[in-house]
Amino acid sequence: MVIMRIIWFASQIAFFGLIASRMVAVEDYFRYYVGGLSVMTLYSAAVFIGFDIYEEAEHGVFEYLLSLPVTRRQLVLGRSIGGGLRAFIYVGPLICISLYVIGIVNPLNFLLALFSLFLFAFGVSGMSITLAVVIKSSDRFDILMGVLDALIVRLSTAMYPLSFVKEANPIYGWIANFNPVTYAAELFRWGAGVESILSFENPLLPLLGIVLFFGFFMFVGIVLYDKSIEGGGWR
Amino acid sequence: MPPIIRIENLTKKFGNFTAVDHLNLEVEEGEILGLLGPNGAGKTTTILMLATVIRPTEGTAYVGGYDVRKNPDKVRELLGVAFQEPKLLWVSTPWDVVNWHAKVCGLSTQERKQRVREVLEALDMWDYRHRSVHALSGGMRKRVEIAKVLIQRPKIAIVDEPTAQIDVVGKHKIWRMLRELCDSGTTIILATNELYEADVLSDRVGIMHRGRLLVCDTPQKLKDSIVGGDVVEIQFEVEPSPKIIESLDQFKEVVKVIRTKASTLRLYLNKVEEVVPKIMSTLMMEGAVVSSIRMSEPSLDDVFAHYTGLTLEEAQKGGR
Ligand SMILES: Nc1ncnc2c1ncn2[C@@H]1O[C@H](COP(=O)(O)OP(=O)(O)O)[C@@H](O)[C@H]1O
Ligand SMILES: [Mg+2]
Repeated sequence: MVIMRIIWFASQIAFFGLIASRMVAVEDYFRYYVGGLSVMTLYSAAVFIGFDIYEEAEHGVFEYLLSLPVTRRQLVLGRSIGGGLRAFIYVGPLICISLYVIGIVNPLNFLLALFSLFLFAFGVSGMSITLAVVIKSSDRFDILMGVLDALIVRLSTAMYPLSFVKEANPIYGWIANFNPVTYAAELFRWGAGVESILSFENPLLPLLGIVLFFGFFMFVGIVLYDKSIEGGGWR
Repeated sequence: MPPIIRIENLTKKFGNFTAVDHLNLEVEEGEILGLLGPNGAGKTTTILMLATVIRPTEGTAYVGGYDVRKNPDKVRELLGVAFQEPKLLWVSTPWDVVNWHAKVCGLSTQERKQRVREVLEALDMWDYRHRSVHALSGGMRKRVEIAKVLIQRPKIAIVDEPTAQIDVVGKHKIWRMLRELCDSGTTIILATNELYEADVLSDRVGIMHRGRLLVCDTPQKLKDSIVGGDVVEIQFEVEPSPKIIESLDQFKEVVKVIRTKASTLRLYLNKVEEVVPKIMSTLMMEGAVVSSIRMSEPSLDDVFAHYTGLTLEEAQKGGR
């Protein structure tokens, strides 16, 4: 636990130390930033469902949920989608504001982007649920979410273009390249028409990334939810 | 008819501790089966395994023909559970809890509208339907928990200490509702540590102690199975003659006759309700005048004591 905290702390400092020094003005950065911020906030809100899992464990609600006449697949899917939708409701106003700031260029692109944001939110909720049931300790979960926040939110293109991240450190660049937050941020900006600094030539690439992310955590979530909750050992 | 539930060597260990120890039991369709035992006997753990909430360490159970290990989804379709600790979604009201449960169990909107009201009214919870579950007393929460199985009307209902913390009037109401549920075709498993509840509600009672099932039969047969378990004290107007004592000893159900006072006999016997009329007519024929007669049936507590050497209360105290 202490180690995880240190890693988190170190990664934040290292990253910001490197990146901040390169924070030169980018053309259109404000619009870029607003788009990224929306996706980051969406991520944070969708992660929240994981904390609900601990509350459920504490209240013994798991036993109830597990006894219901539904399959585990329906249960995990329902929870993930519920968590994702809730995140959308929280972040909705922010998305609207950022759209106002950015202005939509192509409505069709935007619909596709919105769809991908939905998938992204469900995927993040699924991930959060999966990790929560594996970790089984709200303290450790709290810290891990901090580490993940550092790794996948900061090391994405949400705040800085890919070229910046790569320049800072090739490993950071690599992480940012295979990162659902990157994909979501890129798609959102693409959909809203912030074309000037897109990292991906083809929007289908990040879309595919998000679909895979969503699918992976649904699948793993279903298997692990079942296994680790039935095993007990919640404290 | 094959049993609707067949439990085979069902075992659950928590680390080195065996909470349920090679349980074997069959439940017939349409009956109320009571599981009676002190706290820590393993009743709840057994129930959680049947409900596919926790996985057995060893052995298995077949519910409606489906193995809880291999076909948990099928098993859950048949089951409704009212837990010992009420499992309420912590952000809601009784109405939300019951309505949500009914929805997940597949009741239509129309059905729900009517049935949620019916069930909450029957449980005296309608007036509190919009209270936060936080603000409910323990007994009220138990009522909401019971409402789940009552609205669901599952093929098999499992109720874990359904009337704990509920007042006497409420207890009787719930017992009647559970009996009605059973009459409408639901098989019920009732876990309880209350002798009276097990006795009045169950068609058969399984007695559990320290993870093991000691015996399982109808409450009457369990009581009858204790040899000489019934006690009858007869007080005579005058000292009974040796001939009278001898004639009482003749009954095959009478195990022992002792003279407690000059004119009082205490009989240890079986099947008190059949024997006492015969004893009375014998005494009448002998011309003995009886001034008073007191009978006591053994309770399930005597049955429990017979198998464990402890009364339920003692076991409860010594329980883990
Ligand atoms: N998750 C658990 N971890 C460890 N021990 C447990 C757990 N659940 C139950 N037990 C133990 O198993 C025994 C049986 O418990 P339980 O099935 O709840 O009994 P009952 O319902 O008959 O009162 C108790 O001694 C209890 O402490
Ligand atoms: Mg119990």
